[in-house]
Amino acid sequence: VVTGQTIVALLPELISTGFLILVLMVGAFAERNAGIATGLAVLGTLAVFASAAVLLATGFSGSFFGAAYVVDGFALYFKLIVAGSAFFAVLAAARWSGGTGDAPEYLMLILSVVLGATLLVSMRDLFGIFLAIELATIPSYAMVAFDRSRRESAEGGMKYLITGVIASSVLLYGLVLIYGVSGSAMLSDVADTFTGNLTPVAVLGLVLMVSGFAFKLSAAPFHFWTPDAYQGAPTSAAAFLSVGPKAATFAVLLRILLEGMPEAAATWTAVMAFLAIVTMFVGNLAALRQRNVRRMLAYSSVAHSGYILAAFAALQGAGVAFAVQAVLIYTAAYAIMNMGAFLIIDLVGEDTKDFNGLIRTTPGVAVSMALFMAALVGIPPLAGFFGKLWIIIAGAQSGSILVYVVVGALVVNTVLSVPYYFGIIRNMILEEPTTETVRAKGDGAVRFSVYVLAVLTTVFGLLIIPLSALVAASGLA
Amino acid sequence: VITTVTILIPLLGAILMLLLPDDDRPARYAALGVAAVPLLLTIYIYFAFGDDLGVAALTQDITWIGSLNIGYRVGLDGLGFGMFFLSAFLTLIAIVASRDVKRNLKQYFAALFIAEVGMLGVFAAQDLILFYVFFEITLIPMYLLVGVWGDENRRPAAIKFFIFTFLGSTVMLAGFLAFGILANTYSMDALGGGGGLSRVAQIAVAAPILFGLLIKVPAVPLHGWLLDVYVSSPTSTNVLLSGVLPKLGTYGIIAVAIPLLPQGIEPFLPYLAIFGVINILYGSFVAFMQPDLKALVAYSSIGTLGFILLGAASGNAVGLNGAVFQQVSHGLYSALLFILVGVIAAKAGTRRIRELGGLAARMPWAGGLLALGALAAMGLPGLAVFVSEFMSIMGGYTTFPVQGVLASVGIVLSAMYLLYMLARVIFGPVERPAYEELQDADSVEMASVVPVAVLLVVLGIFPALLISVQRPAVDAVLALIGGS
Repeated sequence: VVTGQTIVALLPELISTGFLILVLMVGAFAERNAGIATGLAVLGTLAVFASAAVLLATGFSGSFFGAAYVVDGFALYFKLIVAGSAFFAVLAAARWSGGTGDAPEYLMLILSVVLGATLLVSMRDLFGIFLAIELATIPSYAMVAFDRSRRESAEGGMKYLITGVIASSVLLYGLVLIYGVSGSAMLSDVADTFTGNLTPVAVLGLVLMVSGFAFKLSAAPFHFWTPDAYQGAPTSAAAFLSVGPKAATFAVLLRILLEGMPEAAATWTAVMAFLAIVTMFVGNLAALRQRNVRRMLAYSSVAHSGYILAAFAALQGAGVAFAVQAVLIYTAAYAIMNMGAFLIIDLVGEDTKDFNGLIRTTPGVAVSMALFMAALVGIPPLAGFFGKLWIIIAGAQSGSILVYVVVGALVVNTVLSVPYYFGIIRNMILEEPTTETVRAKGDGAVRFSVYVLAVLTTVFGLLIIPLSALVAASGLA
Repeated sequence: VITTVTILIPLLGAILMLLLPDDDRPARYAALGVAAVPLLLTIYIYFAFGDDLGVAALTQDITWIGSLNIGYRVGLDGLGFGMFFLSAFLTLIAIVASRDVKRNLKQYFAALFIAEVGMLGVFAAQDLILFYVFFEITLIPMYLLVGVWGDENRRPAAIKFFIFTFLGSTVMLAGFLAFGILANTYSMDALGGGGGLSRVAQIAVAAPILFGLLIKVPAVPLHGWLLDVYVSSPTSTNVLLSGVLPKLGTYGIIAVAIPLLPQGIEPFLPYLAIFGVINILYGSFVAFMQPDLKALVAYSSIGTLGFILLGAASGNAVGLNGAVFQQVSHGLYSALLFILVGVIAAKAGTRRIRELGGLAARMPWAGGLLALGALAAMGLPGLAVFVSEFMSIMGGYTTFPVQGVLASVGIVLSAMYLLYMLARVIFGPVERPAYEELQDADSVEMASVVPVAVLLVVLGIFPALLISVQRPAVDAVLALIGGS
């Protein structure tokens, strides 16, 4: 039964659908005016953000559509991340997409991903989850391949599409098996069957589902599409896809595991621990060798997926509460700092040498980039530090030897990642400007986004930590 | 509140620096003005509250992360006050002595100020996580100060510095986190005496913390990063690099490791004393062989840091007071020597001891002060270093006789190489005809060294000025560790 409450609960999704249609209409009727399309998209993402913020502030919560759709603090928090990162992506895409002549279509794709991702974090039904993931993913294939002026874009999009489709079928197969075992797609019913000794079919379903998610989250050994897709994609697409939908995917994975199979935690934390260790090392070791900043950030995003998976491994014993908050903190921190780092590529260039001597030509951008890099390493008091702090604490509380190993690997990887992040800082500050470096190109909107994100990175400890504590205290409703 | 204000003023200074127009003169005056404020506030604190710094005073406690019991907790006690003062003092001196910085002066000052925030914060932090955060805040500005404004070898030196000390502090953080999780709080006040941890747990926690702190000092086998960094830095960075930064490590040992983990640190104490002796002897021997005046001073500085470790390990009132005092006197004398080396190198055009000689005739003031600094370094009575080294050795001897005796051998060694250096550089024949034309230190250079020299003498004659402040706090530590 659809009541007023349902409408309120669906406000973020309804708003994004509305603006999605409006932006598309601009393409059809308003002479493809990039300015109007961008304005509407900016307004749309802000409205989604505001509606989620208001729902969160008023403490709105409830279940809808026969408990298949839930609104709680946890879901709203991730809707904020999705809408916030989409806002910056739209700003970053404004000028570039105007240049392609297809601004309405590109911006519409961003809004469809927003719609899918905001739905996703509220889903409590296996097939609803699958549909929402696809709703968020299918437009993203098009986003990656959107830059027709570069061959890499099409290549990256193709690779992303093929692996993505395989991942989706693996995921779907896993979900179907879980459905077959438990006879219901509702997470609460699944929880009743995933107890005691798991049947082989249930384990198979679990493993396939996790593998499907590992593809989507670019966790090793399922990460191969990541560098090509992020290198080929338009910057705004790489920046957005690596943080917004990814945060939502982490959120829904957390929900499935905690609500759907809490009794089987011993099984899936072990899987997560394995994934986390492999992913961290693969990401960092590969990133060390990169000379192209896009590829470096792509591998760095693999490594950071590994860090977040380490929090998943700590979802046991006394570590659960901290681990949940660690996921909340880390996804927000990563969204802010990685978004900033990607956007700067548009201003400066994608070769590490392009950053030489940037401090002398455009100090503001250079300082921001230095902040993002230091935050990605995890230097206090910047954003990334808190994420790692919570993961380490959660791991220590979990009381499992395997998780201690994971935490140890995380510390080792943090030191391992210093050279490539600080390589950029070194180039910016210690090297002389080369003739090509010159100045960062002046796109006002991108620059504005970068500065805002730099400030957020710096004040993260005062702003997001209390928010995440509030959300974590309200728990998964 | 006054503590917080003192810590944050340099941050405002850094922002101010970046907003100033690109003109060196106003930047220099503004920096001097800003740097004077924390110093004046510390002096005010000394006269207003100096008598009751037994337990952390002037505190502020704001819960930051409730679920983990992490808070913004600051306060000053007698252990940290001396270094708190010295950080403010030496930052001002560094700004006066920054004449060799030729480009991007205001950015240089901004980096200095950020480093000052971290240094002041460490000596005032009363929460382990906050301690770590401030500890790390010094890292990036120091990296930049060396990496951007150092000499031609600056880039590898800066990277080496960063990786070594980042590794150290990461290991230290792991220890802190384990400690806080086991004791369920990060408040240094609540953790006093071990925070309820068993002896085994304390040992397990103390080991990584101690390791991280010893890299920062650096204790001798862990000192690989040091020489390049010291030699490559501009003079004014050296002032902080040798005057304050090593004390982040030693202060951590004295104010965190020992009182908070008394049982955990206890099995390590003899080795800490041995580390101290190794530093003293190794520093002296290697200093002897340095052809470069700056490298000689760098190794001398490593050597005398050993006295801090020895005194801290002693676990008695004399030794601990000596260690806390030595932190300050070491900072003063090494700052004095590094600035003078910078002055002499700039005027004579070389730092090679072999090529220098007979400077006293042409540069009576600079030469005389260099002699004063060298005499201080070898522990001449009447100068501050004597008081603190003597107390460290006495305290160390009471607990660890062998180490105590060996440490006093170190004083003889240091006298040898320092007198040799003085004989070559200041006295002796004039090595090059060009030296006949040398000018003595000018008024700005004098302004950067004379206050340091005066403090060195005043604290040497009236050590009670500082010891009276630190003693109640040292007694509080002794009460926690059950020493006398």
